[in-house]
Amino acid sequence: MNCRECREHLYEYLDRELTPAVEQEIRQHLTDCPPCGEQFDFEKLFLGFLRARCQAQGAPPELKRRILDELLDE
Amino acid sequence: MTPPTPPRTPPPPPPASSASSPAAEADKRASFEREALVHLDSLYRVALRLTGNPAEADDLVQETMLKAYRAWHQFERGTNAKGWLLTILRHAFINEYRRRTRHPETVDIDAIEPFSVFEELQDEDPQGTFFDRIVDDEVLRAIDLLPEQFRETVVLSDVEGMSYEEIARILEVPVGTVKSRLFRARRLLQQKLYDYAVGMGYIKGSAT
Repeated sequence: MNCRECREHLYEYLDRELTPAVEQEIRQHLTDCPPCGEQFDFEKLFLGFLRARCQAQGAPPELKRRILDELLDE
Repeated sequence: MTPPTPPRTPPPPPPASSASSPAAEADKRASFEREALVHLDSLYRVALRLTGNPAEADDLVQETMLKAYRAWHQFERGTNAKGWLLTILRHAFINEYRRRTRHPETVDIDAIEPFSVFEELQDEDPQGTFFDRIVDDEVLRAIDLLPEQFRETVVLSDVEGMSYEEIARILEVPVGTVKSRLFRARRLLQQKLYDYAVGMGYIKGSAT
């Protein structure tokens, strides 16, 4: 696998959407090629950052109460 | 000769909701709470990003839950309840809220130049430490500024952790479309956050 092919699969790899065989090829390439490895690490960090920043928000407690009340009326 | 008396019409069947016994209704409510209501936070997060407004997000989620409860007998037990609920939510949004809130932008996907922040920062901050200085609100604001097609894809993937297949089913598009939207949406987001970080002086960035 060359660098271009490897980078084309960047997000699919990080999202765990590839077959084990392709995943293995990429893992091998990332070990052999530090520049690709750095880019993948950067993108992985970005996705983790995105997830962490957006998870905090949950539904307000009043909303849950309102929904439960409504179900009782059904 | 007198005409035969018409057969007595049977009474109409009772409406479905009152057909079930109180015990069956309690069972239904219990299973709904257990399998559907546990996804309330996810529905709310998605609703908030779609409507861009907490009051409308509340209404959208409430309506979604009510619709889901009424259709609960149609839900196939053991399958993905979160995906099922998000599909209902998205349809409700498209039919009733989108007209009032935001307008769907049609995006010329090919016109978006994928910008790699990593390549910009290779020398200055290859470890992406500047991300740590960007607060939640700024990230949410950047997501809200994405075109709707990208916003919903990125929220389902990066906020809710759904698979490409699940996202494709909810958005009713091919998996390939999910992939390309996700790629461009993430690059657009990176670009917005990069511009913000440069503006705040967290990084120097390229001198353009």
